Amino acid sequence: MELRQPSSAEEAVGLLGNGHVALAGGTEIVPLLRDGLLRADALIDIRRAVPRGIHGTTIGAGTTLAELEVDPGIPVVLREACRLAASPQLRAMGSIGGNLLQATRCWYWRLDFPCYLHGGDRCHAKDGRHDEHAIFGNDVCASAHPSDVAAALLALGTMLRTTARELPLAELYRLPTTDDPQTTTLADDELILELEVPIPEASVYLKAMDRQRWSFPIVGVAAARTAGEVRLGLAGVAPVPWTLTSVDDLDRATPLPGTAYKLPIARALVARALRAVATG
Amino acid sequence: MTINGVPREADVWPGESLLFALRERLGLPGSKNACEQGECGSCSILMDGTLVCACLVLAAQADGHDLVTVEGLGENGSLHPVQEAFVEAGAVQCGFCTPGLVVAVADLLRRDPTPSDDAIREALSGNLCRCTGYAKIFDAVRIAATRA
Repeated sequence: MELRQPSSAEEAVGLLGNGHVALAGGTEIVPLLRDGLLRADALIDIRRAVPRGIHGTTIGAGTTLAELEVDPGIPVVLREACRLAASPQLRAMGSIGGNLLQATRCWYWRLDFPCYLHGGDRCHAKDGRHDEHAIFGNDVCASAHPSDVAAALLALGTMLRTTARELPLAELYRLPTTDDPQTTTLADDELILELEVPIPEASVYLKAMDRQRWSFPIVGVAAARTAGEVRLGLAGVAPVPWTLTSVDDLDRATPLPGTAYKLPIARALVARALRAVATG
Repeated sequence: MTINGVPREADVWPGESLLFALRERLGLPGSKNACEQGECGSCSILMDGTLVCACLVLAAQADGHDLVTVEGLGENGSLHPVQEAFVEAGAVQCGFCTPGLVVAVADLLRRDPTPSDDAIREALSGNLCRCTGYAKIFDAVRIAATRA
């Protein structure tokens, strides 16, 4: 294992891929390496290669959650999602780009069960314990995506700029299939550089969790009204951050026996969020 | 890197954590090693004035940075006011979480000398006490706040 510290995005891209893994705040990558869930021949420290800071509606991917949550220019939904995402230590370290790329908290995956995401042939959660798992998009894998921040950014209609392309945030994600376990479309040698975040007229983030501070979401609901149109983004309900086009989408949920309790929570939070952005 | 005001050097393996380097190579075992996941806060230190979990920072990434560990809080051989308050309140049971909490409280009081209970709860939410001795820890924060 070696650690490289490139000073530009171009240099970083040249080093990535082939078992070379990008590292920024360390809150995600370091525990995954320690637990043997991620293997790396080299770590590429991208802190000098990726922009950090807030310039109008543009956020550098290296900006920490702690920096975002206190910036009055950042929409409320994103500030609140950052504030509720983790402990002060983790928010001070973790970058917004890394937050979008978090691995699932599914305990079967974390314990290295041979599930679809590990290249296996089944979802162990579906037949086992799955209280924290998905109510949408769970045909193959029933894991739940933990990013509060991604839900907020979906509601805001965020665009990403990477070293290779520009794309709406929703296109960063893909549902895993039986023959491809990837949950993002990011290439091994591609870095998220910047986020373009429109300013809404009103926005809110509501989060149900086991503990009042620093828990992963049972259900997180982000809502933003931009140019008169309301968008909803949900965390903790599907293997990827989930967009609802309307409240009626909740009728198409596919809860598992252990996750059925999430649906009324989602309904309540969506109703409350829609009321908040209608008048806010 | 600079640790507690003193320039220090260490030979480290690229994948090694800053916590390991502090404890095993630099003779600073005050920061405790518990979860190694960033969940418990026992290894909290200040890096360039920001509260971080030393278990999640690679030692090599700390090169060139300014670190303060629990060993560096007190001055001239005397305890830091937060340490005195922990002693006075009896805010220590098994003691394993104490160094991380002391650093986190010192960081809180530097930013907010008169924190509300909610602000204390928020600031210490990343520091877990396995003995659940939070009431005395809160007492210690309130005592320290009167002397800051």
